Amino acid sequence: MATPTRAVEREARPRLTAGLILGRTPYYVSTGALAVIFLFPLLWSAVASVSPQAGSAQTEGFGFGNYRTLAGYQAGIGQYLLNSAFTSLLTVALTLICSFFGGYAFARFDFPGKNILFLSVLAILMVPYATLLIPLYVMLNAVGLQDSLVGLSLVLTLFQLPFSIFMMRISFESVPKEIEEAARVDGAGTFAALVRVLLPAVKPALITVGLFAFLAAWNDFIAPLILISSSDKLPLPLAIANLRQQVMGVIDYGATEAGVVVLALPCIVLFLLLQRHYVNGFMSGALKG
Amino acid sequence: MTTVTAPPPVTHAPATLPGPGPRPRRGRAAAGLQGWLYALPTALFVGFLFIAPVLLVLRMSASDWKLFTGDNGWNLPVNFENVTSNRFFVSSILFTLQYTAIATVLLMVLGLGLALLVQESTRWKSFLRTAILVPSALGLASASLLFYALYSPQSSPFNPILRWLGVTDSSVSFLGTPSAALWSTVALIVWRFAGFYMLLLLVGLQRIPGDVYEAARIDGATWWQTFRGITLPLLKPSISLALILCVTGSLLAFDQFYILTKGGPDNSTITVVQLIYNQAFSGQNNLGRAAALSVIVLGALILINALQFKGLKSEDQ
Amino acid sequence: MKVWKRRRIAGAVAAVIATSMTLAACGGSTGGAAGSTSAPATAGSSGASGSASGGAGAAADQGVDDGTTLTLWTRAPLEKQAKALVEAYNGSHQNQVELTVVPNDDYVAKVGAAAGSGQLPDLFGADIVYVPNWASQGLYADLTDRIAGLPYADTLNKGHIDAGTVDGQKFVLPFVLDLSVMMYNKTLYSEAGLDPEKGPATLAEFADQATKIAALKKPGVSGTYFGGNCGGCLVFTWFPMVWASGEEVMNADGTESLLGGSAAQQVYSTYKTLNDDGVIGDGARDETGATWVAGFQSGNVGVMPYPATLLATASESVDVGVSALPGVDGGGSTFVGGDGLGISKDSKSGEQAWNFLAWLTSDAAQVDVLAKGGDVVSRSDLANNEYAAKDPRLVLINEIAGKGKTPVALNFQSAFNASDSPWLTLVRNAVYGGDSSVEADNTAITSVLAQQ
Repeated sequence: MATPTRAVEREARPRLTAGLILGRTPYYVSTGALAVIFLFPLLWSAVASVSPQAGSAQTEGFGFGNYRTLAGYQAGIGQYLLNSAFTSLLTVALTLICSFFGGYAFARFDFPGKNILFLSVLAILMVPYATLLIPLYVMLNAVGLQDSLVGLSLVLTLFQLPFSIFMMRISFESVPKEIEEAARVDGAGTFAALVRVLLPAVKPALITVGLFAFLAAWNDFIAPLILISSSDKLPLPLAIANLRQQVMGVIDYGATEAGVVVLALPCIVLFLLLQRHYVNGFMSGALKG
Repeated sequence: MTTVTAPPPVTHAPATLPGPGPRPRRGRAAAGLQGWLYALPTALFVGFLFIAPVLLVLRMSASDWKLFTGDNGWNLPVNFENVTSNRFFVSSILFTLQYTAIATVLLMVLGLGLALLVQESTRWKSFLRTAILVPSALGLASASLLFYALYSPQSSPFNPILRWLGVTDSSVSFLGTPSAALWSTVALIVWRFAGFYMLLLLVGLQRIPGDVYEAARIDGATWWQTFRGITLPLLKPSISLALILCVTGSLLAFDQFYILTKGGPDNSTITVVQLIYNQAFSGQNNLGRAAALSVIVLGALILINALQFKGLKSEDQ
Repeated sequence: MKVWKRRRIAGAVAAVIATSMTLAACGGSTGGAAGSTSAPATAGSSGASGSASGGAGAAADQGVDDGTTLTLWTRAPLEKQAKALVEAYNGSHQNQVELTVVPNDDYVAKVGAAAGSGQLPDLFGADIVYVPNWASQGLYADLTDRIAGLPYADTLNKGHIDAGTVDGQKFVLPFVLDLSVMMYNKTLYSEAGLDPEKGPATLAEFADQATKIAALKKPGVSGTYFGGNCGGCLVFTWFPMVWASGEEVMNADGTESLLGGSAAQQVYSTYKTLNDDGVIGDGARDETGATWVAGFQSGNVGVMPYPATLLATASESVDVGVSALPGVDGGGSTFVGGDGLGISKDSKSGEQAWNFLAWLTSDAAQVDVLAKGGDVVSRSDLANNEYAAKDPRLVLINEIAGKGKTPVALNFQSAFNASDSPWLTLVRNAVYGGDSSVEADNTAITSVLAQQ
């Protein structure tokens, strides 16, 4: 478990804990209970996926029957993981490129149409997802990107832009101008200053943006449903949704739980691995709220 | 994985909502051109994948546009008349507003409370932070599926626990009554998003300089006075960002209700977006009406957010 | 995986050979997949692959089998049958069908998005109650003459054919049939002192037997169960009880609801009494159809209307008895559900797609794939096939299929199946509500059905 260390320890802060009044035990019990509440559903899902359950592949005793169901489904789980990985990584790359340069532009430059563009980016949040997908489908067909993972990644990137651009803009704005002006005096252009001086300073924000883009792309369900039709191009969540509903709408809970575990595991691992970096970035005050 | 060293400590400028930064000393036109170049990828995405489809949605809302047969010509304002007279139009708006109010208040209060709780860097606190954040690594659809199984009478772990505790001997129906369905869904949303809003507010908390608190302590301020006088005002930018995200997200709630309740029981949990979805894909198969409703929702959201921005900006003065 | 790959390659090679043969034969006519020509192609009659169409007249139009790749969409609940059929076809033909399975709840969205932009697959299935609407919107290609040319055309399931007929034109063939029957748990019947060889013959007997099972007071075991929040399940299980009583659920055009009739009222009040007496299993009230069959499968339900397709699955864990869905005073009927399959308006390989459809109705597909897998055949002349003969329950189900109906209405989905349908409101008021509001709710169904 990563323990973020604080750059500056603040001792003088009044604590919002009952600990000061009641001693430590009740405090640990109550906060421990909080942790349990947040972790319980995930742990339960993991346990239930290997537990015996009627109407699933695992009816007797504990074992990995549900995972076998998952592994042997249609094109095979390997193919779905590959599709999901490709889509997610491409989405992350596109999101990082857009928000890194875009955030810089919004934070440091004045250009005609800047505010309109920024508000348009924020407006993406305000249009229901399902509403945009049909026109997007029609338009992707027009340019020959139907049923392609690249087209899917483009759409997923679009929906990541509001959060990412906002985040990167704030992040660039919280870097003192003196730092890059020092670099500019040395004769570096804006691009060189951006890469050499600003990149290290906004790294935690980039990691956060990249992580959220990955999580969103990895888990998205509605976009691939509309945009992808070949069964060998399905991403994992869609395959799991297919698998969940058996004949006459019966739900195979065992397979569903196994599916949730397979979907969640990479996300959680990645999250824990990267947590140190971006929480560190936050905790050292590199970001402004 | 590369290890990233913490960036150099930064001096704090007073917090403001993002505004135009001071211009570099180059020529205005040159700087403008450079800015455009950097913003180009974003502009391309917004232009081709957002503005263009939105224009198409506007056109659909004014046309007799069926799901299967496409455009059958202009029919303004028939679609708008049709959706506003839909039997669920008013109830879905009221339900969406009710849900938004509940979810926003809960998430904001919890997010802030949790952020205050875990802000110090002890081992235990960072474990707590992680535990609370982990659910936000799941997608909303996966989380909804997980809770679907959690609430189902067939696989729910709660009923055996409740029976064992002797609370009840029949199984609890988590999604069976309108209010149970609403609160069960709220529970899922709080579980999934509390960590995210905690993180946003934590960022803001971290930016409050320690010496401000030091001064307050020397003046002998109580905890509450400190919180009211220092923490809340200085947290304002973070709170406003969280608020806008939370309100917009809740008003467009769909996935969680679609998976958990399908708008039931007895049509009590139909949100506005669920209504859009129903117009387009269940029974009516009428994209024109769905687009008209989307246009109404888009207008309302822009208005609500403009008001929020205005309120936040004016208080900043 | 491996098998798939090998088959793909084989298919591709066959396609290349077939195409070159066609080119040689036709003196280099362009268009490898000229499916729009109505002249029967001579190339690619699959001699080597041996698609025996078991006794079907060879004069019938078999379409073209020249190694074209066809696309087929179906919804997830039919995956098992669709996969078995597609694999059997691909193994015995040069044409190769690529199957796409779509989650049930999202099928309409997917088909709609594709239809709007001319991207429909060659073949796609539809829940038979949606077929009238989809066919009248022009999503399917006309198959009237081709179906008429099938030697066994008059044995094809009438309910499905009628549902796919708009203004005298036929658009779909039966893909997979699903029927509703009464299933009961013989073990529980013996325990309750009921005759395990006789299912309920009237509505009152059904209520009585379910009550006796509930009286066993076994933990987790209920008398009966139903999808109390699932319009589609309720249509599938309750309509036949009305038909078996000699009444109708709608007028002939499907524009007026008759669900306020006396037999329908009897069904509602029976379930209301069962609910008040605690005979119905926990969770039925908010059952959205996701798990409505699971309780019986795990041996926790005494007797309930049930999909016939699940007989094999349920028999793995439960000793299942089968009878017809009874009416108020006896009789028996069933809801002929399932999916129809047709060629899409966007298909460029109509001849090849018809080759699949013609094969689908042949003995090879009906007996050696569907019946072998325990499914209902869609041709009445094959009802007593070798596989059904092994299990008297299957013979019964195949017989019931002829007595059943498929209700036809243009707005069936919004009136009955949608999550916000007036039918669901009617049922929930009648079973869980206090006052009777059947009349008013029935009028609401009519107003949705009558919408243009």
